[in-house]
Formats: sequence, C-alpha cells, structure tokens
Amino acid sequence: MNSLIDYFATDWGAMTVNDWIGTILTVVIFLLMILAYFQVFRPKNREQLESRKHIPFEEDDAPFGDDDGRP
Amino acid sequence: MQASLEQKYNFDIVRWFTIMAVVYLVLGAAFGVYIASELAWPFLNFDSPYLSFGRLRPLHTNTVIFAFGGCTLMATAFYSVQRTCGVRLWSDTLARFTFWGWNAVIVLAVLTLPLGLTQSKEYAELEWPIDILIAVVWLAFTFNFIMTIAKRKSSHIYVSNWFFLGMMIMIVYLHVVNSLAIPVGLFKSYSIFSGVQDAMIQWWWGHNAVGFYLTAGFLGIMYYFVPKQAGRPIYSYRLSVIHFWALMFGYVWLGAHHLQYTALPDWTGSLGAAISLAMIIPSWGGAVNGMMTLSGAWDRLRTDYVLRFLIMALAFYAMSTFEGPVMALKSVNALSHYTDWTIGHVHSGALGWVAGISIGAIYHLMIRLYHTEMYSERLINLHFWTATIGTVIYIVAMWVSGIMQGLMWRAYDEYGTLAYTFVESVDAMHPYYAMRAIGGMIFLFGAAVMLFNVLMTVRKSVVEGRLQQARALPAMA
Repeated sequence: MNSLIDYFATDWGAMTVNDWIGTILTVVIFLLMILAYFQVFRPKNREQLESRKHIPFEEDDAPFGDDDGRP
Repeated sequence: MQASLEQKYNFDIVRWFTIMAVVYLVLGAAFGVYIASELAWPFLNFDSPYLSFGRLRPLHTNTVIFAFGGCTLMATAFYSVQRTCGVRLWSDTLARFTFWGWNAVIVLAVLTLPLGLTQSKEYAELEWPIDILIAVVWLAFTFNFIMTIAKRKSSHIYVSNWFFLGMMIMIVYLHVVNSLAIPVGLFKSYSIFSGVQDAMIQWWWGHNAVGFYLTAGFLGIMYYFVPKQAGRPIYSYRLSVIHFWALMFGYVWLGAHHLQYTALPDWTGSLGAAISLAMIIPSWGGAVNGMMTLSGAWDRLRTDYVLRFLIMALAFYAMSTFEGPVMALKSVNALSHYTDWTIGHVHSGALGWVAGISIGAIYHLMIRLYHTEMYSERLINLHFWTATIGTVIYIVAMWVSGIMQGLMWRAYDEYGTLAYTFVESVDAMHPYYAMRAIGGMIFLFGAAVMLFNVLMTVRKSVVEGRLQQARALPAMA
C-alpha cells in the first residue's frame, strides 16, 4: 500500500449483489445516524424529549406503602 | 385511588425470576471458582472427564450468562415494562411458560454439558433440540413484552424498554442464524457453516451476545433502576436516545475483531477495530448519563448501598468499554489475543458491569416485591465490598498474567528462536491463577451472603405478613 488512494481502491466490477446490499445499507444507516443526531440535539426538540425522563416517576398511587410499592 | 400494585401487576413472575437469578449467581460463581482452582491446582480434575475444565467451563459460562443473566433480564424487563407502561403483562400464561421454559433450558444445560454433549461453539454450546427450545421460549418472552407495550397507557415508550426490545429482537436473529445446524442424531449436529465463514458467524454471534444481551439488556436495567434508586430522573434523555441508536447500529460490526490475524480477510478485522473505537463514544455517553443522574446528590453513595452497586457497575462499564476497543486494535491484539488479558477484560465487564447492575437492581426489587426492608443493610454493604474487592483481584491477576503470557510467547533470542517454551509460560502463570481463584472465592462469598440476605428477607416478609397484606388489599379502581 503506497497511498490512501491505493488503500481505498475498489474493483467496482467485482462487486456482488451481497456487496451492493451491504454498501447501500451501510450508507443509509450512516445517513440515518446523522439524522438521529440532528433531531436529538435540535434545540426545538429539547423540551419534548427531556420531558420523557420523568416517566418512571409517573407511576400509580398505591394504597400499600409508597407510590413505588415500598413498605 | 387505583387497585393495589399486587392486583394490578403480575409481580409473581418477577419474584420467581428474581429469586432464581440469585440462586444461579451463586451456582455460576461456584462453577467459576472451581474451574479457576483447577487451572491453579490441576489435581482438582480428579481424572474425571465430567469434572474436566473443558466440560465445566461452558457450564460456568452458560450458568452465569443465560441462567443468572437471563433470569435477571426477565425479572427486570417484566417489572419495568409493567411499571413504565402502567399496565399488567399481556399474558400471565406466556410469562409462566417463559419462566418454566427458561429454567428447563438451564436444567438441560446442566445435564448435557458435563456429559460432553456440545456444538463446541462458544456461548452457543447447547445441542440443537435445546437451541430450538431457547428460540421458542425467547420468542414467548419477546412477544409478551411487545404486546404489553402495545396496550400501554403512557403515550411514549420509555427508553429502558427500547433497550430491552432491541436486545430481544437482535438475540432472536443472532441465535437462530448462529445455531443453524444439520442434526445427525438427538444429541449431535454440525453447523451449516464451515471454515472461516463458520468462525465469522460464530464471532458475529459471540460479540453481539456481549453487545445486545450483556450490554443492551443491562442498559435497559440501568435506565430504569438507576433513576428509580437515586430518586432522580436520568441526567439526559436526549443522550439516552443517541446511546440507543448508536449502540444498535454500531455493535453488529464488531465481531471480526475477535479474528485478527486469521484466515478472515484483513479488511474485516480493520473494520471491526475501527467501529470498536467508534463505540467508545456512545458507551461513555451512556455511562456518563447514568453517573450524572446522581449530580447534586453524590452524598447518597455514603448511605445507599444499593446505589453503590449501580454506580460502581457504571464505572466498570466505562472501563471495559474503553479496554475492549483498545484490545481490538491490531497492534494491541497481537499481544493480547489468546492470553489471559482477554479473560480479565471479560470479567471486568461480567463481574463489574453485568453482575453489579444486576445485583443493584435485584436489591431494589426485593424491597418492592416483598413489601419489607431488606433483612440486613450491613450484609448488603459486606456484599458490595466483597464483590468489588473480589472483582479487582480477579482482573488485576488476569491483566498481569495475560501481558506476561503475551510477552513470553513472542520473545526471541539473538538466534531468532523462541526465548521460552510454552510450559515455562504456563509455570509463570501459576501465582496469578491462584490469585484469580482467590478473587473469585471472595466474589462467591459475597454472592452467598446475598442469597442468605434475600432468603431471610422473603422469610421476614412471610413472618410479618407483608406480602399477604398487599395481596389482600381490595381493588379500588
């Protein structure tokens, strides 16, 4: 290997169907990850997403013990 | 006011899985201590094939991973999905089938592995009829979980359920593909894959068993039980979302790093190593997210022994998810592969992370499932220190032993011949093997203390009539 160009050289003609499926899936997943980062860290979505962290504390009132079932 | 929690939810199934998890923790650790002792003092084989290291080692791994780990996952998943969705399990019958089916798998493993009935695939040793049973029981578990989520009262599915669900779906896929085999008898089959493809499939399964079963599932535990025990919501929900998707998309690539310098194409190992390094980001994001949940309440660690287990587990999670990618690098792997360093790494994850987070969650559950305080807080504290000290002794012994092993194997003299024979390297390992067995014994002692404490808590609840009282409360929906 003499250079990065050699390292990344690809024989496109030798690509099989499996290779293409894998390549396309990888690129799609990469783009979806970028979208996930964008959506999650977008300031507009902050309040809505962070409000969900209270779900474990929105459990039932229990007539026995506290609202978590403790004695 | 709503109906009593005991009437609203199915806690019986959670209680069964919880108690069995503790029993299997003791059994699995005992098997581990025995085989570690065999390596230090080989006379313990007693010249019996049934007690040989080769047969008992898979019994140890299957007991700790699938019996202890599986029962813990099923207990915590069934508990937290009901609590976060505000509904009872979709099917009590399917839950009971999951319990008895999973325990049947464990009994069959205990019977077949010492007899030498094995597919010889690491962490997938069990023969084909048991593999089919595993798939059926796991699907029942998964289906019940999904249907419970489907009828939830909350508008959003809490992130712990995402992790549990990701684990369930991926384990179905991984287990079925890796276990594809042609049976030639009731207890013998051959994998449909061969050669390097077989190795690649095996480690695609092997590392994803770590990634999805031992990591994603236990992160599900972390995202519910750390906030609940701390009494504070998770530090950042947004970080948990990124943690989930990065883990789901990233982990599947890593398996090839187990096969560096083999017949596998070189690029697959490089890819495995590169993605392993990239996985440090979500893993540390998750660990920081869990730890920062205590932000502003660190003093709780002084008095809350259960919280100590949970937070210490996160420290081990951060440490082992840094160590793993480093070991995946080809230059490091050239030294570490096939040595005890790998065993040390695995146990920093298994004892420190998986067992730690499980033990913390089980103590949290015991109080709520039996409606009484633990029999002894001091015994929980004793357990914490024995578990931590035992784990540290174990992994330090294996780090030293492994690095020494690697260096001895590749040392050359001035004539280009090996400086040490293999037997010399084995001899040099002996003090560390003894040290590892002692570390394991200390951990096992702590597990036995936990079992005693748990059983005494059950007894206390029965004597005080707490569980009966909770069950007898009228439904006031």
